[in-house]
Amino acid sequence: MIESVEKLVKVRASAQTSFYPEKVKISVGVGTCGLANGAGDILASIKDEISRLGLDVTVRGTGCVGFCEMEPIVDVLMPGLPHVFYHHMTSEKARELVQSLAEGKVRPDLALMRMDEDQLFSRIDRPLTGGLKGLDDVPTAEQVPFYRSQVKIASCNCGFIDPHDINEYIATGGYSSLAKVVTEMTPEAVIDEVERAGLRGRGGGGFPTGKKWRICRSQPGQEKYVFCNGDEGDPGAFMDRCIMEGDPHSVLEGMAIGAYAIGAARGYIYVRGEYPLAVSNLNIALEQARSLGLLGEDILGSGFNFDVGIIRGAGAFVCGEETGMMASVMGHIGTPRQRPPYPAEAGLWEKPTNINNVETWANVPVIIDRGADWFAGVGTEGSKGTKVFSLVGKVRNTGLVEVPMGTTLREIVYDIGGGILKKRRFKAVQTGGPSGGCIPESLLDLPVDFDKLQEVGAMMGSGGLIVMDERTCMVDVAKYFLHFLVDESCGKCVACREGVFQMYKILERIVAGDGRAGDIDLLQELCSYVKDTSLCQLGGTAANPVLSTIRYFRDEYEAHIERKKCPAGVCRALVTFSIDEDNCKGCGVCIKSCPSDAITGEKKQPHRITPDKCVACGVCYEDCPFDAILAE
Amino acid sequence: MITLTIDNQPVEVDQGQTILTAAKAAGVEVPTLCHHPAVPPAGACRICVVEITGGGQGGLVPACAYPAQEGLEIETRSERVMRSRKMTLQLLLARSGGAKVIQDLAAEYGAKVMPFEKLDDDCIMCGLCVRVCQQIIGPEAVGFAGRGMQREVCTPYKEKSEVCLGCGACAYLCPTGAIDPADYCTHPLEGIPNEFNCGIDSRTPIHLPFPQAVPNKPVIDRDNCIKFLTDGCGACKTVCPAGAIDYDMTDEYVQEKIGAIIVATGYELLDPSIYEEYGYGKYPDVVTSLEFERMVSASGPSNGELTRPSNGKPPKTIVFLQCIGSRREVDGKPYCSKICCMYTAKHAILYKHKVHDGQAFVFYMDVRSGGKNYEQFVRRVATEHQATYLRGRVSKIFPQGGKLIVRGADTLSAGQVEIAAEMVVLAPAMLPAEGVTALAQKLRIGYDEHSFLLEAHPKLRPVETNTAGVFLAGACHSPKDIPESVAQASAAASKALGLVCHTSLLREPTIGVIDEASCNGCFECEPVCAYGAIGPKELRGHDNTVTAVVATINEGLCQGCGACSVTCRSKSIEVQGYRDDQLYAEINAISR
Repeated sequence: MIESVEKLVKVRASAQTSFYPEKVKISVGVGTCGLANGAGDILASIKDEISRLGLDVTVRGTGCVGFCEMEPIVDVLMPGLPHVFYHHMTSEKARELVQSLAEGKVRPDLALMRMDEDQLFSRIDRPLTGGLKGLDDVPTAEQVPFYRSQVKIASCNCGFIDPHDINEYIATGGYSSLAKVVTEMTPEAVIDEVERAGLRGRGGGGFPTGKKWRICRSQPGQEKYVFCNGDEGDPGAFMDRCIMEGDPHSVLEGMAIGAYAIGAARGYIYVRGEYPLAVSNLNIALEQARSLGLLGEDILGSGFNFDVGIIRGAGAFVCGEETGMMASVMGHIGTPRQRPPYPAEAGLWEKPTNINNVETWANVPVIIDRGADWFAGVGTEGSKGTKVFSLVGKVRNTGLVEVPMGTTLREIVYDIGGGILKKRRFKAVQTGGPSGGCIPESLLDLPVDFDKLQEVGAMMGSGGLIVMDERTCMVDVAKYFLHFLVDESCGKCVACREGVFQMYKILERIVAGDGRAGDIDLLQELCSYVKDTSLCQLGGTAANPVLSTIRYFRDEYEAHIERKKCPAGVCRALVTFSIDEDNCKGCGVCIKSCPSDAITGEKKQPHRITPDKCVACGVCYEDCPFDAILAE
Repeated sequence: MITLTIDNQPVEVDQGQTILTAAKAAGVEVPTLCHHPAVPPAGACRICVVEITGGGQGGLVPACAYPAQEGLEIETRSERVMRSRKMTLQLLLARSGGAKVIQDLAAEYGAKVMPFEKLDDDCIMCGLCVRVCQQIIGPEAVGFAGRGMQREVCTPYKEKSEVCLGCGACAYLCPTGAIDPADYCTHPLEGIPNEFNCGIDSRTPIHLPFPQAVPNKPVIDRDNCIKFLTDGCGACKTVCPAGAIDYDMTDEYVQEKIGAIIVATGYELLDPSIYEEYGYGKYPDVVTSLEFERMVSASGPSNGELTRPSNGKPPKTIVFLQCIGSRREVDGKPYCSKICCMYTAKHAILYKHKVHDGQAFVFYMDVRSGGKNYEQFVRRVATEHQATYLRGRVSKIFPQGGKLIVRGADTLSAGQVEIAAEMVVLAPAMLPAEGVTALAQKLRIGYDEHSFLLEAHPKLRPVETNTAGVFLAGACHSPKDIPESVAQASAAASKALGLVCHTSLLREPTIGVIDEASCNGCFECEPVCAYGAIGPKELRGHDNTVTAVVATINEGLCQGCGACSVTCRSKSIEVQGYRDDQLYAEINAISR
């Protein structure tokens, strides 16, 4: 039990000792991405090998360090030496690694990078006392392009601490911000600090967080709520999941600080049902925080009471909309309602309620810890701090990246992301999920912040970045997102339910080759209608995928409608595949992959596609190592 | 109060009101589909969008759900608004193109059929049914299931609902007529029969008892009102602009001192289903004359359109049967109901007005058309309106080939006739209103073996009863038509006025008097008084304490019959002018 700030300082000191033990410490990234890549087996193998060899080594699981492409990742810390991250681990490699460690050796051959300064991934630092010991040739994190321009604020600690152990969070400075707030600062001072930091809501809207808190605080009534929106539903986005899985305490601490500032004694975290690991890690974190008295009554002897409940969503995207979420929490169907009244005025059970997204809450402890000025020093004029993006799609380095606001898309895609897979041409990057838009190559030098993205017809959204190459059909992409939205529209208002459905049907006929003259105009008309007339922001932004693709890729639409061609070779009704006999090396890859046995040919002889049998699935087009398949 | 501007016109509304309310206050029309004043708003149909052009975050907002705020500037028909409404209607045309309300609005806003995917679904998902069921009525029988285009209104697990009250609020509010509680309710739904229309149609729990009711105000039928059954609803109170709804009002007893009573309790009709040969209650096309009256009435359930209850088509052949239960000694009423001949003649004319090519037949025993111009009227029915009058009675009615075969005797041609009728109208016997005997007993007035009230004298005092101050008017006395009823009522009113227009009652002095000194208060006289004129009287001494209770006679009621006088053992009651001493004096004078 930590009853006072003094006790917290003591606990931190002892936690730090065990955080940097005088023995080897092995950490395996067991976030959902790691587990999907086999991290569970690796953790088991390492434990097994250690007990087989009878070694005295600390082994634990951590969250995701963000570099999903390199998963499974294992971090080895030897006393006095830098962290060494090993990538693409397998059970065999892991056993080998343990064996080497038993002999006191590091394995530069398996290493991805070393980390000389722990502050890159956390708020803690320590001197290196053991030199480099054979790690000279392993690049440092700053030298790895993926990490070079990243600044970790919200995702700091992710992959660095064990989310199942509150002491590790405390060791890296956790709960010291809460301690500072409840003992030294008035609620107004906290709001001032957050406002001065210029923190804006990371859920997509970008509303100034401090202002939101102030509105909620100024509402009459004793009973207020703080809410954490963890219903991250955008396809291709997983920032919030990583934070909740890898650093759940930062969310809890942020919420506690917010609750203190607003005057709330109760908080809820709404986690989407598809995130079981996040729920379980949050529950563990909650239990530990409660047992140490960091949540509950009279926190740190300050008289401030606060506790948090976890609510699991049931799979509705629209419950990420704040009024829909509150309806869901109160036991109603998760459909949004007209605002005003805003949640800050009449939210959960008609009480003032402050809703922020996971990433926003995770920023708060760092702002209090490092100060508003430091935070405001990162980012751009209108958008301060960093933004976590989940970088996915046709890019080499997929993963979670946290970059200062204002970083250009080119840096993200080419420097951090390492460029397009298979050296194909970049076509567009989709930001903000189904609410966002596609940004073309001409705007790659756009500094990414809330306002700039809005200007080009996209939006920050929660931070999904989907990179698309030349073989992506933009009409098909628009159709994909609309299909998602048709499925996920709650169906309450006509504009979103009927409007988006009819837009989808128009796109469906365009990709089927039945597009009509005037369809683009009709789509645009529907877009502006849906945007203008919808009840909530799901509908309000539903037009963005269509509008932005028409804006930047109108020629593709025209090709589909007028020439009945899909330039990217994706839309099956509009494409015929043939083999370029000059380029075909006769390797047979396409023959193996063809599901309809449409490709014939001898080894090392140019192959042929039998048009009658071809179902235009495009598998050969994707698989051909020599780009010898032609799509027309 | 909040002041905002709607279409450049300042409006004041109370805090908590919506833009829609403010628009109404300003006399600005805003179309709605998913809105009802008694139901919490949803903002779902988006047809009521208006544009905020100043004083707040701009943009389109639903007038029905957006709160009126100080300083808002609203335009209800800006170009942006009209464009949005038009597209909303175009989308709804694609979804529910068959719904009239959508077609009408589409025409108004110039919405066209667009190259959209067509859906044949009348439900526009406005959710009024769900909201009224969940938030107003309360049983939560219907709700939404599914999301997006899969969203639908249904009961839990789409099983028939046991909690549905069958109140019909959902169907009542549905703008497109897409919902019918009969589809999802486990128990059969019965409308509340409209009593005034003989139960031909149904009415709501709040209703006007009949057109031109006095007072002409709606009443709440507590036996059927959800508010009184389950304490749900209360919608009427929400919407009543006059604040006139008061659920706490109860019936009360009113005591008044009055000088005269006129009994005008009217009549009812004999239930003809007791005569199986006519098939009333068994064949829908056999109706009573009163039901027929409502069917052809312009204010009736079908607005005057005459159709067969069985198939909704106009009856091409109609048969009127008179004397159903009247002039029927054995199993009916021996008296003539008097009005049937004339109203049947009228009905035959009305029938021809409704069905020009139809043929009417009338079975009669005797046409009794005694009255000014009555005979000429009946003749006209037969001549101008070609109704065939058949003298005889009907022995049987049975269905055949979608028609009713009316088999009867035509005594004038001495043969049997069979008519294939599409509708049969019965003229049942007239009965005094139910409960009139209990009333008569209270009023101490007489009634005959058929419960018609008795007049004091059939020739000389046809309006009065034997109880002074109680008069008769209309069919409570005997079967009467309207002119006779009016005449009698006028006479009764004159008689009553004759009583009450004086400050004192002037009457014959031959009434009973009580000798209070000798009355011992046994009150044996009280039950023998046919007029209820005898009551108790307290005698008080000097100190105002009750010394004795003796009988007293109400001088207004006493008819001087002397029944009390002969009953009194102590000889304390005598009739004035006929006292013993007076009689003895008379005898003495004669015998002197």
